[in-house]
Order: sequence, then C-alpha cells, then structure tokens
Amino acid sequence: MSRGRELLRYVSTRLALAPVMLWLISSLVFLLLRVAPGDPVDAVLGSRAPEAVKAELRAQLGLDQSLGKQYFDFLWGLVHGDLGMALIDEKPVTEIISRALPASLELSVTALVVAAVVGLSVGFTAIARSEGRLDLAGRFYGIGTYALPPFWVAMLAQLLFAVMLGWLPVGGRFPPGMLPPEGSGFLIADSLFSGNWQALQGSLRHLVLPACTLGLLLSGVFTNALRLNLNRTLRSDYVEAARSRGLNETQVVLRHALPNALLPVLTIAGITVASLIGGALLIEVTFSWPGIALRLQESINQRDYPVVQGIVVVVASLVVLVSVAVDLLVALLDPRVRY
Amino acid sequence: MACQPSRTSDRLIVASAGRISSLDPARANTFGALQLLSAIGDTLYRRSANGELQPSLASALPEISEDGRTVTIPLRDDVVFHDGTRFDAEAMAFSLRRFLRIGRLNYIVGGRITAVETPKPFLLRLRLSRPSTSLVNLLTATNLTPVSPTAYSDYENRALNDRFVGTGPYRLTNFRAVQQRLEPFEEYWGEPPRNAGLDLIYLSNSTALFGAMRSGEVDVLLSDAIDEDQRLALNRMAENDQLREAQGPALVIGYVTLLSNTPPFQDPRVRRAMALSLNRELISRRVSHGLRPPLRSLVPPALPGADGVSWPSFNIAKARTLLLDAGYCNGRVLTVPFTYRSNVPADRLMALTWQTQLQRDLPDCLALNLNGMESTTVYRQLGDGTFPAVMLDWRGPYPDPEAYLAPLLSCKVSKGFICERGEAAISGSFWTAPGLDEALKRSDRSRGRKRLDDLEAIEAVAAEGAAYIPVWLVTARAWSQTTLATPEFDGNGQVRLAQLKEVR
Repeated sequence: MSRGRELLRYVSTRLALAPVMLWLISSLVFLLLRVAPGDPVDAVLGSRAPEAVKAELRAQLGLDQSLGKQYFDFLWGLVHGDLGMALIDEKPVTEIISRALPASLELSVTALVVAAVVGLSVGFTAIARSEGRLDLAGRFYGIGTYALPPFWVAMLAQLLFAVMLGWLPVGGRFPPGMLPPEGSGFLIADSLFSGNWQALQGSLRHLVLPACTLGLLLSGVFTNALRLNLNRTLRSDYVEAARSRGLNETQVVLRHALPNALLPVLTIAGITVASLIGGALLIEVTFSWPGIALRLQESINQRDYPVVQGIVVVVASLVVLVSVAVDLLVALLDPRVRY
Repeated sequence: MACQPSRTSDRLIVASAGRISSLDPARANTFGALQLLSAIGDTLYRRSANGELQPSLASALPEISEDGRTVTIPLRDDVVFHDGTRFDAEAMAFSLRRFLRIGRLNYIVGGRITAVETPKPFLLRLRLSRPSTSLVNLLTATNLTPVSPTAYSDYENRALNDRFVGTGPYRLTNFRAVQQRLEPFEEYWGEPPRNAGLDLIYLSNSTALFGAMRSGEVDVLLSDAIDEDQRLALNRMAENDQLREAQGPALVIGYVTLLSNTPPFQDPRVRRAMALSLNRELISRRVSHGLRPPLRSLVPPALPGADGVSWPSFNIAKARTLLLDAGYCNGRVLTVPFTYRSNVPADRLMALTWQTQLQRDLPDCLALNLNGMESTTVYRQLGDGTFPAVMLDWRGPYPDPEAYLAPLLSCKVSKGFICERGEAAISGSFWTAPGLDEALKRSDRSRGRKRLDDLEAIEAVAAEGAAYIPVWLVTARAWSQTTLATPEFDGNGQVRLAQLKEVR
C-alpha cells in the first residue's frame, strides 16, 4: 500500500473513532455529574426553598425524569448539535461556549507561542554548551518551570507586576472603562480589524501577564523535549556522517539535526495546545480571564449539568481534532513514520 | 501605579466578585446582582443606614387594616421607567404578580400575599392570608423591584436575564456577565446620581479584587468575598488614609448547626456544652483580627428584636460540668465530626481555631474532627442529616428578624423536640421545641413592643435548645480610593452607588 493511502486510512480511522471517543467521554461526564453530590436546583433556588418549589423547578428542568431518559435526551440533543440550555443562565449552552471559547483560544495560542519561543531558545542554548553550565541551567529551568505550582506563580506575578509595580492589569480581559469591539470574540483580531488601537492596546495589556505566566510555565516542557531530542540526534550516525563530509557545526545542527529533533516537539506542542484549551483553569481563575476553563469551574460549582457537559464535549472534540491534525503533520514531515 | 494607563472617561469603576447571570428581579439572588439591581431599580420602601423605614416608590408609609390582613400603599405619581412608561399601581401590580408567579425566590413571600389590587391609579392594595408585621420590611427586598410592563410584556411568564428596565437612578446601557455599564437616568424622580456613570466589573477571586484596589485600577471595591488577610490589609490602608472604608449593617450571621435528632447532640446537655465551649472572642480575633464581631444571637443586633446576648458566653467550667453529666470527660473524650465549607477560607480558620482551643481547654472531654467539604455538597446534604456539626452562614433576604428566625426554627411536623419536616429539618438541626412554631407565627402577627418581647422569648428558647450556635457577624464593607467620598450603605447592606462622588 502506498504511503499516501496508508496515511489516508489512518486519518479516516482516527476520525471515525472520534465520535466513539466523544460518546464515551460525554457519557462518563453525564454519569459522574449525576453521581456527584450536590443539586443544581439548590444552586438556582438556594437551599432553603420549599420542597414543592424545588420539585416544580426540577420538573421544569427535566431533572425529575429517569436517568435513562435524561441520558437519551442528552445524546439525542448532542447528535443534533444541541447542547441544551444552561440551568443558571437560561441560555443555550452553545451560546455560552461560543462566547467563552475565543478568550481561551486567544490565551492558549499566545501562551503556546511564548512557551515555544522561550522553551526552544533555552533548550537550544543549553544543548549548544552540552554538559556545561548553560546546559545545567537549562535542565533546572526545564524541571523548575514544570514543577512550580501554576496558581502560586500566577499570584506572585499578579502581586509583582500588577499590584507592586503597577505595570500590568491585575485581571480581566479588557479595560473596565471601555466596551470591547464587537465581532468574533477574539479581541485582538477584532480590535485590529476595526482599527480600534486603544482597544488593541487594552487587550494586549490584559493578555501579557496571564499569557506570559502560562507560557513560561509550559516552556520547560519544550526545553526538555528539545534538549533530549537534539542531544540524541546530534549523536546519531547520519549527523556523524554529515560532520565527516566536512560540514561545519552550524550547518550540521540547523540543517540536519534540528529538523529531526523538532518532530517530537511538534507532537508535544499539539498535545499542549489541546490540553490548554480546557486546562488553563488555574490561570483563568487567578487572572479572572473569562474563558472556558473559568466557566467550567463556575458551572461545576453550580452543578449546571448542561454547561459542564457541553464544555467537556467541545474541549474533547478540539483535543481529538488537534491530535489528528498533529499526527497528519508529523506524518507529512517525517517519511519514517508508518501506520 | 504610574504605569497604569490614564482613564478615558469620568465613569467610576466598581469591582465585585460574582458573575451576574440574571438581572431579572424574579431570578437574581447573588450579592452582585442584587447590588446592581439596587442602582437601576427602586423598591416601594427602603431602609436607611440607621434602620429607618422610608418610602421610595411609595409616597407614604403603608396603612395596615385593623385585622392586619390588608395593606394599602400610596404610590408616587412622578415616576417613569427607563423606557418612558409611567410607573403606577398597575405597573407595580404587574411586577408583584410576575414575581409571585415566576420568581425563583417567591417563597420568601411565604404565601402571605393572596391578592394584589389597584383600587386607584396610584394606590396599591395587598390582601394577606394572615397578619404579617414583617411584610413591610419584605417590601424593601430588591427582588420586589418593579419592572416596566411595556418592556416586559413578552416576559410576563419568563425571565429576562440580560436586560433591565426599571425606575432607578441609573439605566443599564450595556450588559455582559463580567461587566455592566450604567448611565445616569435623566428623568429620574429622585436625587440624580453624583457621578457620571459606573462601570461594574467582575473579578473572580479575592487576590485579584484586592490587587485591583491597591493598584488603583478600580475606584470602588464592594465585596463579601475578600479573604480575611486582605480585608485586614484594606482596613489598615484605610486607617492610614490610603483608602476610604465604609461599613454597612452587619446582616450576615455565621453559625454552627448541631444535628439534634441523633446522638451525641440529641442530648441537650452536650449541645449546651458545645455552645459554652466556643470562645467567640478568641476566634474573632484569630480568624478575622476582630473584623467579624462575636455573635450571641440568631438575629443580627442591627435589627429590632435582637437582644444580642441570648446565647451564653464562653464558660469552660460549665461546659465541663455538662459534659461530665452527660458521661464524658475523665478518659471518655467526645469526638465530634465538624464540617466546614472548604471554599470559604474564614470557615476553615474558624474550625482550626476552635479545634485548637478545645485541645487546650477541654483535652480530656471534647475534640473536633475536621472535615472540609465544598459548599454545594454541604447544602445538598444538610437536610439529609449528614453533618453532626457544621459551620454555615446566613443572610436574610430582607432586613427583619423573621427572615433569620423562621428559616432556622420553623417546623411543620414535629415530635417533641425533633422537627421531622420544615425549615429546621432543611437547616440540618432537626430541632424544635413545643410551641416554638406557634410563637414564631405569633411574633409576625404582633406589633411594637409586644413583637420585640415575642422575638426575645423565641431567641431565649432557641438559645436554651442550643441546636444552633451563633459565632460571628459579617459586616458589609466597601472601599474607595481617596479621590472619592466614603461609600454609603443603605439599611439592606447595599452600597448606594448613586452617592459615589469624586472629592478632588
């Protein structure tokens, strides 16, 4: 079978399996939410509402139905692209997600860029002086940033750069005295397209602290990945062969070793961006960043089942899509990959 | 601070915790939503900072019939809604009926209002199922804010969450869950706002709120969600004239509920011993540096009918005697599982402090086994009788003793001292006393001095039963930058946003 057909078959299989995976994930979330103690009706009415009032609302929200019926309705809605109505906000879940997702994507992508630039630079610098002081510093950096608790670092950054130095805003996504530009929800893009430079400046100022904090915390993963892979690649036979052909070290590294060492890093970047979409919880909470992770946390606290389910399904879908895209990219770039 | 960009408008920025998911008075139930509604809407009556009842949309105090079952309220005739609709008795009746029909908190009316009538264009009449002295205070509740019948004509039977058309000093010009913009309403019937408008923003945690205030990003901070250390830091900054601090009425009570229908708290001696063993002064000092004053009644002292000292003060010798009588001490230590809400830092500190205090004062008699649990889970399981002892708090939906006593003490079905069904069961104590429910109803019928005596008697019975142990009061606070005048609170614990003004 040709490589192109193999790849096509692999991608088709992955995409075909995606709905099964999503079904499993959404079923698990549905079940776990129902098993977890706590009642959305209490969150809406307060714990002291009379039982009759609670029962009425429970019926209104369909929570008095059997678990099987609720599950069937949920799946039926999911298949038809309907994630249901939020219990607390009384809005379609798709609307809530579509408002929160751009904020998370904007933060994640910026953080990823910061992580990649800083992480790869540190990793590359470290390997340039293998086993030297810079290499040791690179190792410490890689482990240290990975090990530091995100909420602690975020709070320190907040206290230092926002409270003590006053350089950047403490939290939020946009200056409080201004109204954000209408559009896609990606404030930087919306500000650019509308030519609203004040809004652009405000958006960027609010983005710097959370994105840099998150990016720096993630950069260690890139540092370690590049360090290890580049180290291994530089000792491989084909690199030795390149050296023996008289190429200088810069050419050896940049042309021969680095492209191969970057392939695993690409996979890591893919996994990171996918997990970031739903996983920047502590950063979003600390910086009051109105993204999907903050929304997920609030909805879990309020036992807003449809919103939690909807967010998990959307994030899981994005993770699946990104991982398939990364696999495809790696396969296209690396002729050694077989499926 | 020099690096913060300069302001682009004269509007003030007011920060608080808590995203606003609904602005409909029939739905709103969070601190932030009610605070916002109080600025863009009016109620029939309001309580001043010193607790005095004042007409707002009403033109005079209500007239109550001889039998106490009819309340007649004259209304102002110079009020218009933000959409230009005239405010009259029909508009008020529309809003009240709507709240009674779809209000998620309509149970606070407790079936008292049976009919809303409009005998004249500016006269409202409420027919009651029973005489209720607390009803007048209920009419100050923000949830009873009138809405424009024109704007809400399509929302008579459903909520309108992201818009609001009321009669308040501000009109809402932009609404997002995390930010709202208020502009002064030019046709407001009362005193116009003293500022050019407000931007209300939401920050999700205490550190962000504290940081925003310290860095000067926000002008005013309103919150009941500031951690104790940061509250103290703000308090100290205010003492050093770096900020201005305002205190409102203390309307939130912190208390411990004891499960009284099963051992060990089935025994009233053990409950009383628990109450006597609590060193409120120490806990207040250690947890809040004294910013949460000790409390020895269920009704906040700021309200009429609270004597403030119904529960006994800390007395370790008496606690030991009671525990000895109950068969504990001298080698038999009573270990109490004590639950606190893990997402409320003050509760955790309270639990830790009490645990340590008992290790010091009653090591051979009483010990606490701490168990942190998230709020939603605690409230869900409270009525199931899951927690032998649990730390909670409560803020009455309107400023009246009834709003504190009834939710904790009223009981529909009881057997002796055990409440099988009713508020006392929902509250997790399952405790009642013979005649207590009738006394509660009687206190809501009586007026004047008689009512105060009735309320005192109820608190005395509750203190004797000791199924609840009041711990502390939470005082509403707000902070403003020094360029602003000190914020003012009303009697319902809400900051009067229209009174915020620059003093440069």
